[in-house]
Amino acid sequence: MLEMEAVQQRGFRNVYKDGQCTGFQIAYRSTYYRGISLSLSKGFRVLVDGEQFPREAITVIYEGETYTQDELAKAGHVQWNLDEPVFLNIAKPGGLKLGVHEVTVNWSHRISYIGTMPGVPEQTPPAAAGGPGPTGGTQEFGGGNCTRKLVLVR
Amino acid sequence: MKMTRKQFLQTAAAVAGAIALPGTAASAPLAPQRGMDEGFPASERKGPKRGVSIYSYNHEFNVSATLEDCLMELSDLATPGTKIGLEVLANAHIKNYPNPSTAWIDEWYKMLDRYDIIQVEYGHWVDTKLYSETKTIDTKEGVEMLIADIKLAARLGFTRARTKVGMQGGAPMTTQTPADNFFEIIKGALETAQKHNVRMLTEIHTPTPLKGPTMDKYMDFITKENTNPWFALNIDFSVFQTRLAPQPGAQASAAGGQASHVPSWMGKLPLAVPEDMIPLIPYIHCCHAKFNNMTDDCEETTIPYPETLKVLSDHGYNGYMMSEYEGIDKLQGGAWPAVRKQHVMMKRLLGEA
Repeated sequence: MLEMEAVQQRGFRNVYKDGQCTGFQIAYRSTYYRGISLSLSKGFRVLVDGEQFPREAITVIYEGETYTQDELAKAGHVQWNLDEPVFLNIAKPGGLKLGVHEVTVNWSHRISYIGTMPGVPEQTPPAAAGGPGPTGGTQEFGGGNCTRKLVLVR
Repeated sequence: MKMTRKQFLQTAAAVAGAIALPGTAASAPLAPQRGMDEGFPASERKGPKRGVSIYSYNHEFNVSATLEDCLMELSDLATPGTKIGLEVLANAHIKNYPNPSTAWIDEWYKMLDRYDIIQVEYGHWVDTKLYSETKTIDTKEGVEMLIADIKLAARLGFTRARTKVGMQGGAPMTTQTPADNFFEIIKGALETAQKHNVRMLTEIHTPTPLKGPTMDKYMDFITKENTNPWFALNIDFSVFQTRLAPQPGAQASAAGGQASHVPSWMGKLPLAVPEDMIPLIPYIHCCHAKFNNMTDDCEETTIPYPETLKVLSDHGYNGYMMSEYEGIDKLQGGAWPAVRKQHVMMKRLLGEA
């Protein structure tokens, strides 16, 4: 089962490689009303406790495959099905401290059936605290910021 | 003989003119469309029929409602002895789209039978912006994706596809038109559609007016290339919306809505009146019963449902109307009672209750 909010608590933990803590992971589900090809994604941005992570620090794991954000943009024939979250791997040596963190994920995607509207950015902008808030809510028409307090235990 | 667009419009105007004579109490119904096989079993009832797009339940889907829960809900809406129509969104509701397992497909058919459901429309997209905001995919790639969807729709038993291809143009949204290679992509799949008994329907939806450059382009193509019914129309009732839905913060079930604050992207309300459908009926093979707000008396407050259903009933429409709920209380679980209320309303309007 998935949690109602786009930012999932299940899956939130630090990530280790060769015994070293290299960063942390956040599971994120799409609340868009349909699944899309990964290449329609304009990218993920993450803000934790006021620290903004650059685009390059975030890789995306879907169904066991890891994508840089550039690789994501080419994955035209990989369907992100709605019943599976993506796992965002965020590089941060030492990872996050144990305890409560305010986490914001920003995501956006291209929409083919709406012509290009002026002022819409080509890539997802930096995350900004806010969005539907900790009680969640759907962003059924296209992503945006989702902020949630999550507890990290490992 | 292929009809030119000019001849079509003259014919449509003549028909509309004859029907709209002042003093006539009601529009004279057109002759039933003989020989237009709607693709349903021969036993299907005549007249407009009720269905649901389970898009309506998207807030809970995968969180507190499975596909089976949605189908179970639909069975509570079916008139005993008949089936209720189903629309799914291909890349939302089909497990492991675009490659569902044979085990899943077996279970799919069992559930349809268990819950009195008939497959009507398969909602899918040809994502022309697959790699770029500004450059559409190659026609060949678009045709391949479209053919794959038609085949999957047929495999699951659908006779209609709500085929959404890309649009171009910026603001205002009312002026947007199909992407450059939209019609080439459709042409490449017409033969497959006919072979598999799947009608590709382009949806006429806000902010597209029922009379305007986009409709002209569609009807030009449909009449010149003689594509009906393999490429034809789905009318979304949002084009008839006359009043704004209750805004956030208002009581969702309060009657009425404010006509004053119309978002600029919607253009001028209404975009069309139900009578505009009359010359189009031969080309309409599915409708989206869009709705925004139901009162507890089971009346819709933003879209003229009585007039809309009357035009469809009086003018020989034999397809389904698929509920699509967009009320603001969706986020508080409001879709489930709203769709039920809408079907009570439609049963009453169709003389079934």
